[in-house]
Amino acid sequence: MSIQIDKLSKKFISYKKQPGIIGSLKSFVNRQEFVNTAVDEFTLDIQQGEFVGLLGPNGAGKTTLMKMMTGIIVPSSGHIRIVGYEPFQRKKMFRKKIALVMGQKSQLWWDVPAYDSFMLLQKYYELEFKSFKSRLDQLSELLDVTDKLHIHVRKLSLGERMKLEIMASLLHQPDVIFLDEPTIGLDVLAQQNIRKFLKEYQKEHNTTIVLTSHYMADVQELCSRIVLILGGKKSFDGPIEKFESLLGKEKFVHFEFSESVNPHKDFTFFDQFDPSWSNDFSQVDLRIPETDLRSATIKILQDFPLINYNCEQLPVERVMKALMEKPGVISE
Amino acid sequence: MKHYLQVYFECVRTCFSEVTSFRVHFVLCMVMDIVFYATSFASAIFIFDHVEVIGEWNKNQFLFFVAFMLAIDQIHMTFVSENFWRFSEDVRTGHLDYTLLKPLGAVFTCFFRRMRPSTLFNFIFVWGALIHFGILNNLSVISWFLLPFAILVSLYLLVMVEILLVISSFWIVEGYGINFLRMQFQQLSRWPDFIYKFYLRKVFTLVVPILVVGSAPVKFLFDQNKIGIFALLFLFAVLYTFLVKVFWKFGLKHYSSASS
Repeated sequence: MSIQIDKLSKKFISYKKQPGIIGSLKSFVNRQEFVNTAVDEFTLDIQQGEFVGLLGPNGAGKTTLMKMMTGIIVPSSGHIRIVGYEPFQRKKMFRKKIALVMGQKSQLWWDVPAYDSFMLLQKYYELEFKSFKSRLDQLSELLDVTDKLHIHVRKLSLGERMKLEIMASLLHQPDVIFLDEPTIGLDVLAQQNIRKFLKEYQKEHNTTIVLTSHYMADVQELCSRIVLILGGKKSFDGPIEKFESLLGKEKFVHFEFSESVNPHKDFTFFDQFDPSWSNDFSQVDLRIPETDLRSATIKILQDFPLINYNCEQLPVERVMKALMEKPGVISE
Repeated sequence: MKHYLQVYFECVRTCFSEVTSFRVHFVLCMVMDIVFYATSFASAIFIFDHVEVIGEWNKNQFLFFVAFMLAIDQIHMTFVSENFWRFSEDVRTGHLDYTLLKPLGAVFTCFFRRMRPSTLFNFIFVWGALIHFGILNNLSVISWFLLPFAILVSLYLLVMVEILLVISSFWIVEGYGINFLRMQFQQLSRWPDFIYKFYLRKVFTLVVPILVVGSAPVKFLFDQNKIGIFALLFLFAVLYTFLVKVFWKFGLKHYSSASS
């Protein structure tokens, strides 16, 4: 077992502050403290080699959970073991077996080329120079940043920097990698490149990877298992396919026609798939049960002037959106 | 130990790489510190233009003390100072997260990873002054032999007191105030203990031992019979190492990082 978490909780004490000078003075003298339960009785087991997506809205507790898994912060209660170690004991061997990539923070030195930071990491992780060098060459080639290694980090684009951040985290070949929004703020192409790299890397090294991301394309493409966290509690844990069909086994298909169609003429046909028509009735979104997908598509192809159609690319996104709007759906 | 040294030398190398990117800043830092050293000596000389002795010391003894404290300051500025400012900022912004993940003692990675190479070569100035005033004070052979050692132990105690202070950043989060307090303590230690009134002297000798940092070793270097006060330096060095260990663990438990 790579990761074992049992009834893990984390409570933070925060305080409320009213706006303005009066509010500031009041809170300076008398603070209205309250306990915020960021993670609540969270239990999770992850096997070696799994690629798990940790999903949830902002403030759900994903990052707090990751920081507890890496030993950065101490849990309020519960137990946690990562590759056989208790993270907060912060044993040297434990820290050599894990890596954390945070999309919004950097471990590279800002005013020197990334190569200097990598050299420092070589010493931190006591890597033999020859193997370090060959690994550096291999990773920089895979991520296509060979020509960026000797440029000051502050002069690089966000995408280039993120690739180098990922490299920095992989140099010591960790057993478990925690990726906290690694593609945040990147353009579509950079996101795709990083996803492609992570997919190949995980396949080759059988590394356990836990990913949080607000880009559902990351999750859809990379993760075989999804863990949903809502209000600090685990709300779902299972294969991505099961998550996608959480709101029913249906496909969302978009159809475009060369001319307006008369929906009333085929009222019974379209109406059974919860249609959403464009104003001129030349486009429609349908929610078709998986079992009816083939027959419905054939009928539309034969009976209507179809020019284009496509299936929804990110069913995970739709499910997430529905769950964020109505969290109760999951227990209904 | 080998691991720590390897990392440290690599940190030094990286800091050199970093600081040489900004040439004017490099030179300014160097000049700024030399000006500070010069004004420290000038202030003491100015006072002795008007008085014969201060407390129990004459002009040459006092200037040796000033040089001793500046030698500590020079090493402090070069190898440690930068880290205190970074630490408070890292606690507030959550950048400490990555530092805590490094497979080395966290106190080391927090307080000894950054250096300021620009002030490294100023050692010629302060050590020149220290040797000059040492000769004027007819230091004994044993005092010359103990001098570098005394400077290192004094520096160690000063750094431990400062680390203990800035650990409070884990609770108070915004560390500017603490860093200024730390600097005020440094300022207090740059004067010999006998200029302070009784209670103030007791507090800054026995509670927050910043007056031990300079006064204890210099008194011992002048007079080897005062071994008791020199022993106090070691005693506090050990005590504060223990306190740093205990409070560091408490601090880490309290660290809540910053939101992503």
